[in-house]
Amino acid sequence: MKLGTVIGRVTLSRAADSLKGGRFLLVSPFSREQFAAGLNAPASMSKDHSLVVYDDLGADVKQVIGYEEGREAAQPFAQPTPVDAINTVLVDEIYYSPWRG
Amino acid sequence: MLLARVEGTVVATRKHPSLQGWRLVICQPIGASGQLEGAPQVAIDSLGAGMHQQVIISSDGLAARQAVGDDRSPVRWLVIGIVDENSPGKRI
Repeated sequence: MKLGTVIGRVTLSRAADSLKGGRFLLVSPFSREQFAAGLNAPASMSKDHSLVVYDDLGADVKQVIGYEEGREAAQPFAQPTPVDAINTVLVDEIYYSPWRG
Repeated sequence: MLLARVEGTVVATRKHPSLQGWRLVICQPIGASGQLEGAPQVAIDSLGAGMHQQVIISSDGLAARQAVGDDRSPVRWLVIGIVDENSPGKRI
C-alpha cells in the first residue's frame, strides 16, 4: 500500500458496467519528504505522477489515504473489474521517524 | 521481495474490513548498503517489526490474503521476515 493525498474527484458519465456507481479519486502519491511532514503536507511536495483510485470508503479532497496498486486492487469485487488502484485505508495518524544512520 | 527499513506506523480507523487488527508499518525500501530506493511502502506486519529494523517485505497478494484470512482483501505487501545479518557474520 502507498499513501497519497486526495487532490480531486473523477466522475464518469459512461463507464464499464462493473464500475457503475463507483467513486473515483485523483490521488497524488506521497514522497518521502511528505511522510516526514505528516498529514498536513501539501500535495505539491510530490514529484510522482497522480493517479485515479477507486474508492468505496468515502475519502474527501485533502484527506490522506492508503491505496493498493496492481491486480490485488480488483480482488474485493465479485465480478472481473478493470481496476488497478483502490483506496484501502483512510489515514488518521502517521508516526514517522526517518533513519539517519 | 524488497529489503526495507521500518520507519514508522500508520493509524487508520476506516479501512477495508480485512485489515482490522493488523499493524501497518511504513517500510522504506533500501539497497545492500542502506541507500534509499524509492518511496516508502506501507505493509501489514504480524512479526512485530521494531522501529528502524531491517525487514523483508513481499508483494505476494495471495500470501497476504491468506495471512489476513480474506480472499476478497486488496492487501498486497506484508512483512515476511526481520533481518538479523545482511552478510554472514555482520549483524545490523
